[in-house]
Amino acid sequence: MRAKNLSILFAAVFVIAGAVLATGARAEGEVPAPPAIGATIDDFTLPDVDNKDRSLKSLDGKNGTVLLFIAVQCPVSNAYNERMAKLAEDYKAKGIAVIGINSNVAEDAAAVKAHAAEHKLSFPILKDPGNKIADRLGASVTPEAYFLDANNKLLYHGRIDNSRNAAQVESNDLRNALDSAISGKAVEKTEAKAFGCSIKRG
Amino acid sequence: MRFTKVVIPIALCILLLSFAAPAQRKKYGRAAKPQAPLPVVSAIDTEALKGLITQQRQRPLLVNFWATFCDPCRDEFPDLVKIDKDYRPNSLDFVTVSLDDIDQIKTDVPKFLSSMKATMPAYLLNTTDPEPAINFIDRRWQGDLPATYLYNEKGEVVYKHIGRVNTAELREAIEKAVKKSDSQ
Repeated sequence: MRAKNLSILFAAVFVIAGAVLATGARAEGEVPAPPAIGATIDDFTLPDVDNKDRSLKSLDGKNGTVLLFIAVQCPVSNAYNERMAKLAEDYKAKGIAVIGINSNVAEDAAAVKAHAAEHKLSFPILKDPGNKIADRLGASVTPEAYFLDANNKLLYHGRIDNSRNAAQVESNDLRNALDSAISGKAVEKTEAKAFGCSIKRG
Repeated sequence: MRFTKVVIPIALCILLLSFAAPAQRKKYGRAAKPQAPLPVVSAIDTEALKGLITQQRQRPLLVNFWATFCDPCRDEFPDLVKIDKDYRPNSLDFVTVSLDDIDQIKTDVPKFLSSMKATMPAYLLNTTDPEPAINFIDRRWQGDLPATYLYNEKGEVVYKHIGRVNTAELREAIEKAVKKSDSQ
């Protein structure tokens, strides 16, 4: 009986230690590497702010799709609200869809929905529970953009533009990439480091 | 005559009280304390930052990149202040570089540093495009904060950490760098 109790105790310790090691396996701040430019992004499904499952395939644009990692509370992401709304509006007519993704563990669907309404973000925003898509795409910060062509091939990854202050924008990297793709040209600058708030992973 | 008998003592009393009141306030320290000046945060552009990191130095250099909007940056700051107090007087150079907006250089940034009692030299990256600075610091760094780099005297990175620092790990790296520096 005593031996049985001891073996149960050892098993419990083993399971707990395993769980601790598993959660600590990835050091804080360490983000998986993003896919290479040219890689195809597999379809995925995430819940929207009304908890309805939406797949990338059901939302993508006929000429391409922009995935924007955004936040509710990040001042850098918030500095881009107007620019992101305008981007979605400007490129909708050109067949490019914009999809927002919120991977921050502390920002729930209700907060994301209220924030989108307040800031007139009319594009669909998906919640990314367990930051699975942020991990798959190697997204580190908000805002951070990924531009996929009509076949979901990654053409551009990085910042929206060079400055969180709209008056100081000198390099419209994301728009340049979209315009190149629309006009059938190769994207000149395929990567530009996104600067913002770290995604709060769960 | 009756007027002077009444008015003069009253006037004298008022005069005496007016002198006594400030002395009383001083004695009990009720006057408002002058506020300590906020720490100075210097604007630094990308080229100056490169110069700061690559310059010839006698001791290892610790650089912490942070911003007031970054939760883990604020969380780790008390640990960094302790590290600063333990090492900078004798064996380490330590600077912080804020990636806040330039508008905050005299407000939010020094206010936060003051609240942390942080006395290490403080800079704010003054640029409309942070990418060249981020790439200079580390091509593999995406610019997410906080980011902490430890350089030896030759300006080589001997330790780096993206995200909230692990204090024990950082202290170990500093000890190692300082020992190497002393033995040379």
